[in-house]
Amino acid sequence: MSFIESGIEHLGKVIKTGYVQWELASGNGFFQRLDARIKVLFLIFFIVIVSLKRELLPEIAIAFFVFSLTFASRLNILNFYGRVLFFGFVFGFLIAMPSAFNVITKGDIILPLIHFSKPYDFWIYHIPATIGITEEGISTVAMLTLRVINSVSLSFLVLYTTPFLDIIRALKVFRVPDAVLMIITLTYKYIFIFAKTIEDMHLAKKSRTAGGIGNKEAREWIAGRIAFMFKKSRQRCEDVFNAMIARGFSDTVAIYGFKKMNKRDAAAGCVLFSAGIIFLWI
Amino acid sequence: MHIPDGYLSPQTYLPLYGVSFAFWAIALRKLKSELSVKHIPYLAMTAAFSFIIQMFNIPIPGGTTGHAVGAGIAALLLGPWTAVIAVSVALIIQAIVFGDGGITAIGANCFNMAVVMPFTSYWVFKLAMGKSKNLSSPLFSKGGKGGFARLSIASFLSGYIGLSISAVITAVEFGIQPIIAADADGKPLYAPYPLSVAVPVMALEHLLLFGIIEGVVTAMLLKYFLKHEPDAVYAIRGDRQ
Repeated sequence: MSFIESGIEHLGKVIKTGYVQWELASGNGFFQRLDARIKVLFLIFFIVIVSLKRELLPEIAIAFFVFSLTFASRLNILNFYGRVLFFGFVFGFLIAMPSAFNVITKGDIILPLIHFSKPYDFWIYHIPATIGITEEGISTVAMLTLRVINSVSLSFLVLYTTPFLDIIRALKVFRVPDAVLMIITLTYKYIFIFAKTIEDMHLAKKSRTAGGIGNKEAREWIAGRIAFMFKKSRQRCEDVFNAMIARGFSDTVAIYGFKKMNKRDAAAGCVLFSAGIIFLWI
Repeated sequence: MHIPDGYLSPQTYLPLYGVSFAFWAIALRKLKSELSVKHIPYLAMTAAFSFIIQMFNIPIPGGTTGHAVGAGIAALLLGPWTAVIAVSVALIIQAIVFGDGGITAIGANCFNMAVVMPFTSYWVFKLAMGKSKNLSSPLFSKGGKGGFARLSIASFLSGYIGLSISAVITAVEFGIQPIIAADADGKPLYAPYPLSVAVPVMALEHLLLFGIIEGVVTAMLLKYFLKHEPDAVYAIRGDRQ
């Protein structure tokens, strides 16, 4: 049952992430008090800037800028950067690391590791006589790792300071149709409801099971639970639809917009936009 | 398979956003005309279901466990156009809430896993099933072993080939980066691996491991559905009528 447990653990993390996000978004820091539209525009603008930068220095400057915003938003720096660095390590450093070798990135070898008597050619591949880490390769790995760290920290900064439903509502700025926003909103809510249902089913099964069960039986059980979730999602669809009809839904979805932006939001928006322009320019 | 931010250049992620937008628009129009006002709760529930499928770790014969991307089984159960929206919404929520996949890469990830994979899986299944019309209950009775074997192979291939093709396309997106986005000295600015490295690596790991997991999960789930909920399976509904 250990693999079932690990699946349930994964589901538990989903629920916990949602709860932590909701809890932190209701804090009283700099970003929490900003209008969600400003934050979503900031996120998109800065993530594009991060993807456009071609040198390490501007990426480092952006990293410091995001750090100062995180600090001003009174987020738990250790937890926040613990998660960000984990993503940066796995999706940035680990994936990019092999490209530091001269087999992938040509350049000046700064750390020779393996020597052969001669270079080898195999089909379209060339193995040089000396394999090692190049200066250019290190710079590529550092660049990719920093890009991942910056992008993830920007996403988490906005996510941890804004309720998810406000983020989705703010996408109206980009003229995303209300029907699409409603689909995403409903999906988000039901992911948590379904995750909880699966957790309950697992607990019920565990409390009735004495000893272990075989893989074949476990596969049957999981297939059965997935089928049950499918049936449940169909049934929920009917329930939600009936509830929508009962509340007078015709065919037009209209998600309410935000209240008018105040001067504080406009000023913060101008500062963030100006910072973005500076990062674009340097 | 989820591409993070920073690996794709703007000249790759912007067009892929465009292609995904086109598929989303067609899928929404198609589903709205089929389902009318019901399309919103229907798509939301199927998207939540697509997300949840990925949460199940399943033991695979041979000692390993894994979870499916789920786009193949979603296409067989719901139809490819519904799967486009359901899997896309699941991927968008994964990117925004869980940091699984980048925000700039949402278009690319949706194209690879929510467009290419459902359509490939669906058509591979249809092709492998051929003109088999006898898909009703005798399939699972004592006399239906031949049909059952064909169905198992078709559903396995559907998941296996769907994921493998999707992985190769992802690898091509990575592999073209050093060609289209390098600095004056030829140093890659985004994903550093050339096509000669990215494609064989991604293709091999998906052909030899992840594709098999996806295929087994797809076959296992489809078998269960046909046994207990045959009317719920979109891919054979037409054949059964």
